[in-house]
Amino acid sequence: MKITQEIKDNTVIMTLDGELDASSSVILDEELSDPEIMKYAKVLVNCQDLNYISSAGLGVFISHLQRFEDAQIKLIFYNMQDKVRNVFEILGLDLLMTIVSDYEEARTIANE
Amino acid sequence: MQLYKNNAKTLLASSAVISWLLLLVYVLLTAESKLAGASAPGIVFPFLSNLLIVVFIVSVFLFQRLHTDMLKGIDFIGYLWNLFSKAGVAAYLSVALYLVYRVYINYAEVEYTLLLHVVYQINFGLLVLFLSKAFYIWRQLLLYHKNKFLQIAWDWFELLLGATLLLTLFNFDYTSYVFLPLLALMSFYILFLCTNLKWVAYLTFNNKSRSLVLLGAILLSCYIFLRFFFNMSANESLVIDFTEVGFLLLAMLFVGAYSLAAFLVSLFSLPTSSVFEQKSEDLLNFQRLSLSIQQGQSEAQVYDMLVESTIKASDASAAWFDIIRNSEPQVTHVLNINEGQIKSIRHMLQAYNIHNMDYINNNLGRNPGFRELAMPWKSMAILPIKSSKHLSGILYLLKDVEGGFDHETVNVLRTFTSQTTLTIENLRLVNESLQNERYKEELKIATQVQESLNPKTFPADSWFEISTHSVAAKEVGGDFYDFLQLSESRIAIIIGDVSGKGISAAFHMAQMKGIFHGLMQQDMAPSEFMKQANSALSRCLERTSFITSSLYIIDYRMQGFMFARAGHCHTLYYNSMMDDVFYFKTDGLGLGIIRDDKRYAAHIREMYYDYNPGDVMVIYTDGIVEARSPENEEYGEDRLQYMLKQTYHLEADDIKYAIINDVNDFTGPDNVYDDQTLLVIKFRPIQQNK
Repeated sequence: MKITQEIKDNTVIMTLDGELDASSSVILDEELSDPEIMKYAKVLVNCQDLNYISSAGLGVFISHLQRFEDAQIKLIFYNMQDKVRNVFEILGLDLLMTIVSDYEEARTIANE
Repeated sequence: MQLYKNNAKTLLASSAVISWLLLLVYVLLTAESKLAGASAPGIVFPFLSNLLIVVFIVSVFLFQRLHTDMLKGIDFIGYLWNLFSKAGVAAYLSVALYLVYRVYINYAEVEYTLLLHVVYQINFGLLVLFLSKAFYIWRQLLLYHKNKFLQIAWDWFELLLGATLLLTLFNFDYTSYVFLPLLALMSFYILFLCTNLKWVAYLTFNNKSRSLVLLGAILLSCYIFLRFFFNMSANESLVIDFTEVGFLLLAMLFVGAYSLAAFLVSLFSLPTSSVFEQKSEDLLNFQRLSLSIQQGQSEAQVYDMLVESTIKASDASAAWFDIIRNSEPQVTHVLNINEGQIKSIRHMLQAYNIHNMDYINNNLGRNPGFRELAMPWKSMAILPIKSSKHLSGILYLLKDVEGGFDHETVNVLRTFTSQTTLTIENLRLVNESLQNERYKEELKIATQVQESLNPKTFPADSWFEISTHSVAAKEVGGDFYDFLQLSESRIAIIIGDVSGKGISAAFHMAQMKGIFHGLMQQDMAPSEFMKQANSALSRCLERTSFITSSLYIIDYRMQGFMFARAGHCHTLYYNSMMDDVFYFKTDGLGLGIIRDDKRYAAHIREMYYDYNPGDVMVIYTDGIVEARSPENEEYGEDRLQYMLKQTYHLEADDIKYAIINDVNDFTGPDNVYDDQTLLVIKFRPIQQNK
């Protein structure tokens, strides 16, 4: 699992690469807990190379969801592979989280 | 043995006393007769007196031989003190006695020859006591760290020395030309024995100075005795001249020579003793370090030992130790240096880019950066505690002299640090394996909990068949299922998966089952159950945990079932009327994700479905659809759907086996990463007789 972060136009773009399992979700949790992130109003998560997400990985997103909402930070996932999207959908997370098809769309929603 | 020893000692002591008294009587009688007139030398029996002397000497020596204990430990000072206090004092006593006699003579102005004889005899007794005691105490020390050769040499010495008593017994004059060479040889033998002084090396500096005093006092005792007896031998009135007893002379030679040798060796080894002390302490410290694992000491204690030992070994004037926590140094031990000085040294090292590495500087004054700091130290050693991949700490030692860390010292210090590294590594490994053991134990408990929570049997009824399958992965997951008979015609079936692994998952699972049994007693609709379960779980699940679940209430009388899905896998269904296999793709959010009751209510759906006889319902957990092939491909919903299409006409058991076999073929053997749970329910045609 590789997690990279870049800041572009007051937006955090986080790229997930690999499998998000129990051990790598700890790293994700650290990245999302970074107080730096709270300085930006938008967090876009590029899931293009995210091949698998375990319940631990989902748990990390869920645990930060409320915090982001409270701080009015927009969390947007994009470029999600079908099988990963399916996992989000089965759990019902697609109704709670913003999951869009590509970067442009994510940008548009973020800027609304 | 002890009894024999005691008896022998009593016997020897009494024979010594008796022989001494007899000797005294004999001397006094002889002296009396001498005084009475030289004309009557009738009762001079040299053989008798010689026999008495020999008996006395032999008794006292043998007594001491039995009396002297084996050397215990290395308390040599104790032995020397014992020797001085019990034997050396005899010499001073004899001097005092003689002085008292002289004073008395001066005062009385009369020559009391008989009294002189008494004093002389008493002094003889004291001399023999002194010699025997000293002889056997020196024997113990001389034979310290003995080898076989030395033991034999000593045994022969004792034997030969004893044999010289024969000279006295037969009244040979040892000064005759025949015996002189023999006696000279004995003297050389004694000198050879006096070279065995290994015990001196074990004395510390302090002990050596104390032993010098004691040895000096003992030497003085020897001198006093020699002087007294040789002075007295000039006195014409003596009946027996003890200087003629060769044995005493040789014994005195041995005692004196050995004392002198010990004195000189102690004196000359005094300047080097601190070196040996340091070396032996270093050795002890190495040992302590390597033993610390077995004694279950913590890392902190190991560092304590390291700092203490290295400061001593290098004689550093200032030092501090950094523990590296999260790659940040943290000062744990400080000696004679303040916070500000540490900080500025660190800054300087960083500037020179030599922090965190092995570095010795023996001339800090030549370094402009350090000169600027104006600190009193002139040499510095930096020693990292570093294994191949992990830096656990750094030791800084400072000395106020140039060239303070010479090659030898640095070698010792490096040995300490590498030993510490090894110890720390080993401690970590031990801890890790303990942790692993604990983890395994935890998993075992969790597995047991999980297994005991899943029902072993389902109610058998005529209107439906049910077949279950569940395997726990190596790491325990949180799959569970359960049922509850609500009424005669209604049954509730729940399936679920708790996120996370291990014992916490097992506990949440148990909790969820408790909620199921608790709430369903009140017989509520599945969607209501999910809302209340979410509310209950929100209060106890940690933020990163959630539970997926589906609840089915099957009503046989109504020929239908109601269900709600909370984030759990879609239910696979075969409808026999339409001959179709499909998933119920309903919405539904997992439990514990939204912890606001009202908001959660909007995310749960309930569905009612009429079933037909022959319909098949397949309920499962994600361990089935997310099972992976060796090529890392997921089994997926489509394959599962296809399998049911092929097998719906079979019995529930056979459908289950077919699916499990297919999943196992797909993943390959021993490839279960997640718990797999599968329930197959097949509705039977209505039985007319019921």
